[in-house]
Amino acid sequence: MKESLIALSTVYAPMVGVPALLFVYVLSLVFGLGVLGSVSFILVMIGLLVFGVSGLRDVYFHKNNPRAVKIGREFIEVKPKQEEKASDKNKRAVTFRVMRFHPETQTLKEQDYEIETNRFSTVLDGLLNIKAANDPTLAVRYSCRMGICGSCGMVINGRPSLACEKNVWNSAKNGSIEISPMLGHPLLKDLVTDFDDFFERHILTNPYLFRTDLSEKYNPTKEYPQTKEQLNKFLPFSYCIMCGLCVDACPVINTNPSFVGPQALSQVYRYYADSRDEAGKNRLEHVDLLNGVWDCEFSGSCSEVCPKGVDPAFAIQLLKMEVIKDDFTAIK
Amino acid sequence: MEILDYDIVILGSGIAGLTAAIHASNATDKKAKIAIVTKLHAMRSHSVAAEGGISGVLYPEVTNDSLDLHAYDTIKGSDYLADQDAVELLVKNAPKEVEFFDHIGVSWNRNEKAQIEQRAFGGMSIPRTAFAADKTGFFMMRALYDEVVNLENVSIFHENFAYSLLLDENHFVGLSVMDLATGSLRIFHAKAGIIATGGASRMYDFTTTSHSSTGDGQALVYKAGLPLKDMEFVQFHPTALVPNGILITEAARGEGGYLTNSKGERFMALYAKKQMELAPRDIVSRAIITEIRAGRGLREELSGLEYIHLDLRHLGKNVIDEKLPMIREIAQKSLNIDPVEEPLPVRPAAHFTMGGIHTDLYGRVMADEDKTIVDGLWAIGECGCVSVHGSNRLGSNSLSQCAVWGRIAGNEIADYLKKTADAPKLRKEIVNAESLKISAILDKKGSVNPYFIKSELQKTMGEFVYVYRTKNDLFNAKRRISELKKMFNDIYLADKGKLFNTNLRDVLEIDNLLDLAEAVTLCALNRNESRGAHAIAEYPNRDDTNWLKHSIVYKTKEGVGIGYKPVTITRWKPQPRIY
Repeated sequence: MKESLIALSTVYAPMVGVPALLFVYVLSLVFGLGVLGSVSFILVMIGLLVFGVSGLRDVYFHKNNPRAVKIGREFIEVKPKQEEKASDKNKRAVTFRVMRFHPETQTLKEQDYEIETNRFSTVLDGLLNIKAANDPTLAVRYSCRMGICGSCGMVINGRPSLACEKNVWNSAKNGSIEISPMLGHPLLKDLVTDFDDFFERHILTNPYLFRTDLSEKYNPTKEYPQTKEQLNKFLPFSYCIMCGLCVDACPVINTNPSFVGPQALSQVYRYYADSRDEAGKNRLEHVDLLNGVWDCEFSGSCSEVCPKGVDPAFAIQLLKMEVIKDDFTAIK
Repeated sequence: MEILDYDIVILGSGIAGLTAAIHASNATDKKAKIAIVTKLHAMRSHSVAAEGGISGVLYPEVTNDSLDLHAYDTIKGSDYLADQDAVELLVKNAPKEVEFFDHIGVSWNRNEKAQIEQRAFGGMSIPRTAFAADKTGFFMMRALYDEVVNLENVSIFHENFAYSLLLDENHFVGLSVMDLATGSLRIFHAKAGIIATGGASRMYDFTTTSHSSTGDGQALVYKAGLPLKDMEFVQFHPTALVPNGILITEAARGEGGYLTNSKGERFMALYAKKQMELAPRDIVSRAIITEIRAGRGLREELSGLEYIHLDLRHLGKNVIDEKLPMIREIAQKSLNIDPVEEPLPVRPAAHFTMGGIHTDLYGRVMADEDKTIVDGLWAIGECGCVSVHGSNRLGSNSLSQCAVWGRIAGNEIADYLKKTADAPKLRKEIVNAESLKISAILDKKGSVNPYFIKSELQKTMGEFVYVYRTKNDLFNAKRRISELKKMFNDIYLADKGKLFNTNLRDVLEIDNLLDLAEAVTLCALNRNESRGAHAIAEYPNRDDTNWLKHSIVYKTKEGVGIGYKPVTITRWKPQPRIY
């Protein structure tokens, strides 16, 4: 399976040195090396101290052990069934091991479903087959089945993913596939999670194009010009489908719920970097907070799981640099 | 049962619904109390899946384009069934709407002059489709959602499923709604309502649309005894990916893609010499099915689906990555095919419901063929039928339609509120009856699996009411649907729970689809001519003498009735349709 990440991609834990280098690079571009070169050197050290720690932190999924599922704060390895399923060229029986949340008892329980799949089947197809033929009580959130509506986020083999984008045969290990709800969001029923907090975080950052020419905005007479270069500054960050995978994967927000989180912050940068936006530095004030950009420890897991290549981790570091740049400019 | 009072309730959160919310809010100086009710999370409505772009004459002096030309293309594309006053309204307002979406943050592709870039589309004689890569609908939805959540007078009710439209005589009263998360029922009692719930293409097995496109708003209106219009016209998009039906945008051909048969020939030369791959969708879909029937198709073994090739290789990686990135991503992820290196397997799939809720020029819902308007009720976007697309919609006109009538309805409703003191009273017996409807479904003691009915319905429509139709096939479909409707009385719901009961939601959707599929089939049986998307073997030609009229279909106690309404012709007399 080929992956297509559009923006500069960040990587999980071993990322340590890169953000620091990025700091130096951009700061020296902005201010020129000189006195500030040594300042940026100090920032490298700070960067290493702050971000280095995150390299040691567990993130939500284990890259080397996809069967490990996070229950509470512990990783538990779920053993697969031993026997190999009979398989022919076109059809294959696969066991869907679904972690179901029962709202009445507030408990998580595993349930196995064995279903027939073919080489095109996605995990969502499988779940909908289960619902239609085996167990109509299974709750799943889904809609477009083409990776653009952001409904079907769940944890597949220990990794936050969109069910409609995961091919069953490529994902199954020893004839089975592990599925659980995103435990980084409050649970509603089975695989369905509650997005109220997630939406609230997004809304709190004022995610809309701010303009002062309101009559032109709502009764337009001509377009706002924008060059391709200006477009490309924010374009990668506008791909966010609000699926919630990044929040599920973020080690910070899962231990400190007051953190604004990767999705909302990436959208702050999206509007900040848009040449048509007039909010300017006001957007930075909103995020220059302990629970804003400075809570991000750059584990990079948000960018690792983003199905649309948004790279929230990068957006947050860019915001940090804008904040610092703004402070320096003020001193000058 | 909870009763919530609002000035305006909007059902549906796609481009039409959200646009209407913004303009209604502005037109009332943010004073109207507005509720948006959606069965999904608001930003996940099917509009996100719109790919190719939005039509509008932006730079007529540069491109030699004109409003009249856009109108003519649309009317010719509609096979002269579009109401021409509606088309004129569309083309006049469309450019402004493209600019509006620029002003709220859509990342339009730009040309060297920092202007909005436009691409060629089927049936359009001049490139006039503005686009944001091949995710235009998605970007428009995100911009709208971000705009709407900042309006303090607008509340969004996510994952609330409407199961009844409440009327008092010909007056809108409200909507009965089930909150999926809790299972609790509520009535939105409002002075005015807008229905913007999209199309019903999920009545077909092979479709480009989201699982949620089940025509709920159309069904609500139809069940309440109000008429639907032109339901026989279902658009089949020529290029849906085999075997999963995911849309490959017409822009792939707009950017220069070829359609080829099993012999590698660009067969469109036989069917539309001049426009080739960029003929309107009904013509291209028929061409593909004709090629397949002539044995010049290919076959996907697993699903048994026959297809032809959409070849993009000659466009090169750079053009594909800049202008068609999503279809590349989708083909790679779902089929492991890279369109840069291999042609894509495609065939026609149900895509758009040209018919819909019968409205007047301004989107006001009609209670009969031509005389009575339902007070306080609008229907806009794909679920409504103005009719601006007639018997065949041109690609990229749907997004302009949603935006244009979103604004019209928003402004109209503000005027309406000024004249209307109170909503009609909600009678107690209605509240009581509504509070029992859901438990009656949960208590059904039958034995049939509702998902069996759904898949049978989808197969029936796919087999008998597809691109080419025959009277015999349509009779078969009619009989099968009435069997399924009987069977539906005998269903069993496995999930009896209150919390997030998607089993129950699915059953309500299946009920809606059954009614709408019947309307489509009966209208198709009734129309003795071939026009636009409706091609029937017994009557292969267009018949302007007898059939230049809209079908109006409604439920009565005695069964389904069909009436007619003449087409509004302003400046463009019907002509033969040659591309």
